[in-house]
Amino acid sequence: MEEEAVGEGSDAVGRARKLLFRRMLVGIKDGRFFLGGFYCIDKQGNIILQDAVEYRTTRRSSPSPLEQRCLGLILIPASCRATCHVDCSIDEQLSLLSLT
Amino acid sequence: MSDTKFQASEAFAMASNDRTDGNATVPPPRSAIHSGDNSVWADASPLLHAACQDLKEGELIHGDNFNLYAAMSALEIMDPKMDSGIACKYYSLEEAIEDGAAPIPISVDKTTDVRCTIDIMDHLLACEATWHKGHSLAQTVYSCLYLLQTERTSSHALLHSYCKVIQETCKEVLSVVSDARTHEEEDLFTMSYGLPLGGNGDEKCLSMLNAVEETVSRQLRACKASSSKKRVSEDIEPLQNNPDLEEGYCKALLCRLRFRKHFYHLLISMRRPQGRGLELGRKHIASCIAEIDSIRKSSMFLRARAQEISGQNRSNTTASGNQPIGFDASINCRLAAPTPPRAIEILSWEKALDYFVKLLQDLDHICSYTLDPSLEAALLFVVNFQKSQPDLVSRAHLQILLVQGGKLYGREPIFSVVIRAAGLPEFTKSHVIQENEFMVQLGQLVINLLKILCTNAAWQRRKLGKMLQDWRVTYVQLELAFEKEFGETSNISDNKHISITIFQQILPWVEEQTYWIAYRFLILGFELELYSVHDYCMVYWYIYAVLTKLAEKKHIRMAMSSGTAKKKTKKKRDYLKDARTDYQIPAAVLFLQSQIYLAEGLSMMLAALRNEHKLVPPQSPFNTEREVFMQQFELLQKACLPDHVSYVTFKESTIHADFSTQVLSDHFKEAHRIAKDVKSSFAHDADMMAEIRRIEQVAEHNNIALNVISRVGALEPSLKISFTFTHHPFFATAIVKRS
Repeated sequence: MEEEAVGEGSDAVGRARKLLFRRMLVGIKDGRFFLGGFYCIDKQGNIILQDAVEYRTTRRSSPSPLEQRCLGLILIPASCRATCHVDCSIDEQLSLLSLT
Repeated sequence: MSDTKFQASEAFAMASNDRTDGNATVPPPRSAIHSGDNSVWADASPLLHAACQDLKEGELIHGDNFNLYAAMSALEIMDPKMDSGIACKYYSLEEAIEDGAAPIPISVDKTTDVRCTIDIMDHLLACEATWHKGHSLAQTVYSCLYLLQTERTSSHALLHSYCKVIQETCKEVLSVVSDARTHEEEDLFTMSYGLPLGGNGDEKCLSMLNAVEETVSRQLRACKASSSKKRVSEDIEPLQNNPDLEEGYCKALLCRLRFRKHFYHLLISMRRPQGRGLELGRKHIASCIAEIDSIRKSSMFLRARAQEISGQNRSNTTASGNQPIGFDASINCRLAAPTPPRAIEILSWEKALDYFVKLLQDLDHICSYTLDPSLEAALLFVVNFQKSQPDLVSRAHLQILLVQGGKLYGREPIFSVVIRAAGLPEFTKSHVIQENEFMVQLGQLVINLLKILCTNAAWQRRKLGKMLQDWRVTYVQLELAFEKEFGETSNISDNKHISITIFQQILPWVEEQTYWIAYRFLILGFELELYSVHDYCMVYWYIYAVLTKLAEKKHIRMAMSSGTAKKKTKKKRDYLKDARTDYQIPAAVLFLQSQIYLAEGLSMMLAALRNEHKLVPPQSPFNTEREVFMQQFELLQKACLPDHVSYVTFKESTIHADFSTQVLSDHFKEAHRIAKDVKSSFAHDADMMAEIRRIEQVAEHNNIALNVISRVGALEPSLKISFTFTHHPFFATAIVKRS
């Protein structure tokens, strides 16, 4: 992963700030997904989502229909986060998220 | 923002293709969770990672509306206390069933199947008792996977009928408690969201249960007949395979089935309006208790069978000691609040049986009530009922019996109850005065009082305290209405004359009732252990003040209703201690008098002990004695009950108390004498006789203690004085010891 030069460090922060309140889909290690508005992130990478919905399969082992329930404001520790996706248009995807 | 669409599992399989981070352990359903039209899910991890690196320690990326305090309330995922979605054994009921957690039949071997069925029945009983004790249905009774989908059990007659009757029983109990609205502190009992509570309440479950009971009865008869070598007329298929165990298992099953049948019948009987089913209820209670006895006796046989099988997985929630099959409390945990429920312990099987026996005894107490139309009798019944510390379910049943549709026992309109209580003649109960808004308010207060008296002691005391002002305000409003309507009239018609009489008798009755509530509020403090020994002096003094007023108002009310033309007296002197009264003081008032002397005696004795430094309150920088007084009696003071009573008057009364005079001793002597004299009037009432005897004992023992203290001298250092409630629940007895 390429990192920005130190002088342009705030650029990443600025672009991350643009993601605030967008719908974010965070997957965690036990297979559950949480969809909510991106509310906050700290230096350790802990994320807070607002109006979050939890998606879970009804069978642990095999593919099966998802069930969902509303949780409200949640905190996802960095240690259990597996994936993190953001809802954006195809154009935005390139400019906002690319680091090259 | 476009709406989220949620697609079925076909899209699920395709999703793993476009992952960029190479983590293939968990296939993401990102395609199953639509991102919306013209938008995609873009991987934000690299950007966020870079941003985090550039952040300073303690710095956050957040929006303008961010509130750290609110953010602290966020549920933390993967924290077991906050995240109820954490994977337990099974993700869903379907998964559990597919994995064989609740097999039907339980076993192909009929003996094992029967044995396991009995274990399930026992564990369900333990769960039911735990639920009654104040936990949620989801964690207790509905932790049974068979109950969550009863259609599955339809091929297994025993299990199916048992599950159905459990569902109907729980629904009945839930309905009574919900109607009574006595959830009290925790509302867990009535939480039932998403649970399959049961059918339409028709008694179809009973016919199924009866059919199964009939079959098992025949099987029992058949095995007894074959064991005694008699000819069996019918061709009955045995319950299970082992002929030596047939009788034991049949008997064990029969008592369990019969208990459920009678218990369900009991609940239905008690629900019949106006107490019509009470007598029948008592018969079912007797049957239930007999069946519980048989259930207990069956444990020896069942435990012996269990020991042959396995030593592991012992459980104290079944008679056999085996773990029951088909229970998982975690399946339901997502049905409740977002956070996981507190871990609870299911009652042991033995304790569950004890619980049900107590419940049945309390319900029997209710069913034996004669539905006396007198309000005083109803209040006394509730107070006596509460002495055995009954649980939520029986208290809810009592409340439903007492107050139905705004009427006493569902049949006595509340105004006529009040009329009777105030000693007015029967014909006044249809008087138009009942439509007066304050009379209606008074009726509501009476109903609320009856309901509150059925709640647990802590809740009850809180509500009674709050009620005092309402009663006081209603009294003032009634008094004002009376004065407004009849104050200046000189020409009084017949009809108005009746109205005047009604008001004149209801007003002192309202006061009497208010003081009774105040008295109950004060003595509940003893039951709840709210007073320290250093508070006793002021508490007994206040009880003495309240009882004095109570007796005065009761006397006025009784005198008025007995027809003697007595004008409402406003004198505040010692009305009762005047020996020149020219009529018999009613026994009820005399009884109160003995309690007044007792309270006064105790208060003065404690004051004397304090004055002579035998009972020294701790010097606290937080609460002076005046502050303690204000805290203890704030609600009474606010309602001016009684008037002209304050910390100052308390101090004035007690500052000079000492052991040198005979005055202290006189209080206990009088209390004893009056109690003895009044016994003959209550010879027919067992509860009153017991109470009078207790008062005699307390008076006697305190008198003796007082004599010892006077003789030895209170300042004698070897003298140790303590207080106990062995003779009476709230009148203390002094114990004097010389070390």
